[in-house]
Amino acid sequence: MVNGRRVSKAVKGTYLALIIAFLYLPILVMIALSFNKSVSRAEWTGFTLDWYAKLLVSDAILSALKVTLSVAVTAAVVSTVIGTLAAIGMHAMKQGWSDLMVTLSYLPMTTPDIVTGVSLMLMFVFMKVPLNGGTMLMAHIAFDTPYVVFSVMPRLKQMDPNMYEAALDLGCKPMEAIVKVIIPEIKPGIVTGALMAFTMSIDDFVISYFTSNTAQNLSMLVYSSARRGVEPTMYALSTLMFAVVLALLLVVNRRNSLEEM
Amino acid sequence: MVQDMRLIELKGVCKSFGDTRVLHDVNLYIRKCEFITLLGPSGCGKTTMLRIIGGFETPSEGEVYFDGKDLTGIPPYKRRINTVFQKYALFTHLNVFDNIAFGLKLKTPETLGVKTKREAKAEIEKRVQRMLKLVKMEGYEKRSVDSLSGGQQQRIAIARALVNEPEVLLLDEPLGALDLKLRKEMQLELKSMQQQLGITFIYVTHDQEEALTMSDTVVVLNGGRIQQIGDPKRIYDEPKNAFVADFIGESNILPGIMLEDELVEFAGREFPCVDEGFDANEPVDVVVRPEDIMVVGSDVGMLTGTVESVLFKGVHYEMMIHTGDFRWKVHSTTMQPVGSEVGLSIVPFNIHIMRREAKP
Repeated sequence: MVNGRRVSKAVKGTYLALIIAFLYLPILVMIALSFNKSVSRAEWTGFTLDWYAKLLVSDAILSALKVTLSVAVTAAVVSTVIGTLAAIGMHAMKQGWSDLMVTLSYLPMTTPDIVTGVSLMLMFVFMKVPLNGGTMLMAHIAFDTPYVVFSVMPRLKQMDPNMYEAALDLGCKPMEAIVKVIIPEIKPGIVTGALMAFTMSIDDFVISYFTSNTAQNLSMLVYSSARRGVEPTMYALSTLMFAVVLALLLVVNRRNSLEEM
Repeated sequence: MVQDMRLIELKGVCKSFGDTRVLHDVNLYIRKCEFITLLGPSGCGKTTMLRIIGGFETPSEGEVYFDGKDLTGIPPYKRRINTVFQKYALFTHLNVFDNIAFGLKLKTPETLGVKTKREAKAEIEKRVQRMLKLVKMEGYEKRSVDSLSGGQQQRIAIARALVNEPEVLLLDEPLGALDLKLRKEMQLELKSMQQQLGITFIYVTHDQEEALTMSDTVVVLNGGRIQQIGDPKRIYDEPKNAFVADFIGESNILPGIMLEDELVEFAGREFPCVDEGFDANEPVDVVVRPEDIMVVGSDVGMLTGTVESVLFKGVHYEMMIHTGDFRWKVHSTTMQPVGSEVGLSIVPFNIHIMRREAKP
């Protein structure tokens, strides 16, 4: 019996180790290679930051970085505004309608990126909108907004049901009540939502790929240069993107766990 | 003369949510400086009534008058009414001081009685401090509201409402979340605050004892209709119908027949009483309070029965006494052993006769 338990423990441990290895080993290898002097993937010839330095002088990379950041920042800001207002509106609806709207806004989060990407592309083509940075931005706003809604919604639900009325009671006009009381009360949810939206946006490849022909963001650049044969600068670039997204997710998680306390 | 004392008046107020009607033709006036309680079981429409007065709901029919002016369509922020909400609805992003100062900060310096913004700040500081003193929460200015206990949050909610110097304060079951001892203390404090400030309090509760302790006037509601309006003593001593008798305090309610003026038959015998003006042989409800029944020797009582159970309630014993066709709840300071034969006696004054409610 004791032996059996030991075996099962060992199996579980191995299983977990394998999962972690499959998930993180490739990333670790890539990070290591980004510091390798040699262009070859087969040998380690010494530590260098050259590939990182090269990133800063490549026009293609800098312009892709500009696209990524401007799209991510704009999409995060716009979707935060839309998502917050949408959440406040949905929260104020009658239970049945509210549930329906919440389910509808949950749908885009579960739809595969490729479906979202292709369908948005089709819509833009159908409406004869040229696929460029603008369409990419619109697509990003569309898939970012649900993340904001779902960070803000729980805060609204936690809030005292009479909060809005209390503001009116003390002399606020309806708009003032939203700005002076409701928004500050749900601010932690809004900030988390904005961070999530920003992270999802810099992270995205599939939807961007389908919705822009001209403007190229960093993940599209990595993809297109990988087809020509990968340079170590791309390892460096990917490492940086990984680090930024990881940092953002850690911040979001920390905020969420602080919330729960 | 009474007319000009009316501060708030509800005339023919009805309210429906979808197909459910929660208020039926409510007519009520509230005087200046009155402590009035809307009392009833949950779902009786008392909170809806309060919300209509506060401006958070509009009546489906009827009007609400404030100082003789129709309030219909006037939003809450333009009414000289403030509310203490059930769960207080304190602003968690603000500290205690800023919660109380919230309403004052929305006012212009002129309405605060000063000229400049700087003077307004000093004035607000002064008024908030005065309120903190009133609710005995001095020194808590910088605390976050989340760090306060339920009782303290409640005090802040009261201060936040009163600092705006409303003419009417609405309180929606504000003591519901507090423990018994704290609740008793707050009942007395609220009453003394109301007297000190000389403003009208409209208080919603389902706790009949709370209503009797604090109010000048009690409005008993059930099923969206006013059952009785009166001062606590009157409501207790002369319940208008079986619902009020049952809801306020404890009672024995039994069917009877009014034989003639001042003579009623119930529990298998005739009793002299003090009520008159009924039809001969009119069926009525008879109410006798448990403390109004005297336990006497089984040979001298008007009724004889067997003690079925005895509960010690602190000041008195509560006994269930069975007299053959009715089980009486009796409060007495002397205990009778279970199983013993006792006599029961009721003086005419303590027999309350109520007309049967016309069944709809």
